Amino acid sequence: MGLLRFVSVRLLRGLLTLWFAVTVTFFLVRLLPGDPALAVASPTMTADQRAQMLSDFGLDEPLLVQYATYLGQLAQGNLGISFRQNAPVLDILLERLPWTLLLTGSSLVVTLIVGVPLAVAAARRQGSALDRAVQVGGVVGQALFVPTVGIFLLYVFGVWLGWLPIGGAMASDVYGLAAYGSILAHLVLPGLSLVLLQLGPYVLFLRTSLIEALSEDYTNVARSKGVSETKVVWVHALRNALLPTVTLVGLQLGFLVGGSVLTETIFAYPGIGRAIYESVGQLDFPVMQGAFVLLAATVVVANLLTDLMYGLLDPRVRQT
Amino acid sequence: MSIIPPSGTAEDAREGMRTEAVSPRSRTWRAFVRNPFGLVSLAVLFLIVAVALAAPLIAGEPGGYSADVLAPPSAEHWLGTDNIGRDVYNQIVWGARTSLAVGLGASALAIVLGAAVGIGAAYFRRLDTPLGMLIDVMLSLPILPLMILVAALAGPSISTLVVVIAVFSWPEVARVVRSQALPVVDLTYVNAAHVIGAPNRWVLLRHVLPAVTPVIVVSVVLTASRAVLSEAGLSFLGLGDPSSWSWGTILYNAQRSGVLASAWWTALFPSLAILLLVVAATLTSLAYNDARNPRTRGDSAR
Repeated sequence: MGLLRFVSVRLLRGLLTLWFAVTVTFFLVRLLPGDPALAVASPTMTADQRAQMLSDFGLDEPLLVQYATYLGQLAQGNLGISFRQNAPVLDILLERLPWTLLLTGSSLVVTLIVGVPLAVAAARRQGSALDRAVQVGGVVGQALFVPTVGIFLLYVFGVWLGWLPIGGAMASDVYGLAAYGSILAHLVLPGLSLVLLQLGPYVLFLRTSLIEALSEDYTNVARSKGVSETKVVWVHALRNALLPTVTLVGLQLGFLVGGSVLTETIFAYPGIGRAIYESVGQLDFPVMQGAFVLLAATVVVANLLTDLMYGLLDPRVRQT
Repeated sequence: MSIIPPSGTAEDAREGMRTEAVSPRSRTWRAFVRNPFGLVSLAVLFLIVAVALAAPLIAGEPGGYSADVLAPPSAEHWLGTDNIGRDVYNQIVWGARTSLAVGLGASALAIVLGAAVGIGAAYFRRLDTPLGMLIDVMLSLPILPLMILVAALAGPSISTLVVVIAVFSWPEVARVVRSQALPVVDLTYVNAAHVIGAPNRWVLLRHVLPAVTPVIVVSVVLTASRAVLSEAGLSFLGLGDPSSWSWGTILYNAQRSGVLASAWWTALFPSLAILLLVVAATLTSLAYNDARNPRTRGDSAR
């Protein structure tokens, strides 16, 4: 019962977040000086053509009517029509979404696969050279500028060594198994940029919680029972230390998505972030707005999944 | 050296009240000076500020186009030139002004907003739930795409960048300030102030604000360095102020003209400038934190 209540509270919060995101963007777009109407209408149009165009896009209605229409359409999955591409925004973005999910998802998984052992090693030998390196690396890592990392990787592995492709998501002339290989090869550099960006916070955070867990009574009890130190660290301490880290995932998701916008721009990766970059150049506000709403929805869903995982990891949540 | 900022407790707040031969402030300063990381990064920060202030003296106006297109670093162009022949060194020196202005401006605005919301949420119990929820919601949203949307709508300029970055960075400050202020508002001396009939304003200014000042100091530096990163990111996406120079804009021009891969100097030097500024700011605030924390300060006074 506890888990159900926990999940439904989180679900409500997710919906609230989404509503907030949608509402804020709607009013920002309508109230800020950059008039969307000016962006659609070109100066060579006659007054009639302009009025026709505005009413086509529903821009001549009162603001609250537009808001209600927007929410209603949104509930049906309609994000509006792109100003420039003359296609539904949702169709444009859904074509891009899988690439962004692949990029951010795989980089998150790799970050955890690399980060957990690194944090464990640093926490087990506190004060060692490795521990110091992890701490300094973690701080510098938090200060990195995403494009810097991307450009560096692109230059070294793509241009100088020539090992990996420098842009796009896959080669156009490959089929079957080779296509998967091509997708993987194109994923490595942008993915690695995001891994380097995220690794610092996770490792530092997990290291601190592990050090705390390792000095608690229950780990000493395990040790005095004769449990091997490896098992104490990996089984007893790690499970508890991972709990706050799961919360950190929720806080970091927004940064990860922001990082993917910059990374996709550098590597011409055809995800949502690249679509945002392109729509900035074209002042295509419906695409920018839709992209933000879709990314916010993605973050909300991912947050719900981590909450669920938290509930499963922590029995206290299920009982109370 | 501990890297993780110490979690604020009521003890930190009480520490400021203790009267000893050496004032807490000078003890913090002595510990800070003893940490080479802190001193070096503080010096780097001062150097960058000096460069920004002295820009007209040490570098030419970077606007001049020249025939030396994509020249590699040489005696004439220390850091090379970009795709239309502008000197990269000049652009970086002038860009320091933009980065610092946006960083400090956005940070100041975000700190005021964040501290007000954070202290307000902790002090006025009725506000805590809605404000806490607002902070949570804002923190979980992908902020960069939202900043992009607003900056594109409002039109690129330095003041737009300052406001946009501040409006979306205050929740981080509010979260830290709130968690620091929460234990303080229940301490005996705060209750005593209520009992003798002190008005809220007086309690807030005399008791709560001083207790959270240390986290605010750390937040100023961290928020400013994050604002520098945001400014560079937005400029890199083409949303920089077109009438001033910015490190992100150098990268944007290099990316757009497709010379990133061939002319390495157009990417390397602005990147290094960003890295230097942000790392120095981060290390300074960490060193300050360590110097303030009796456990990591390394002197006997606790």
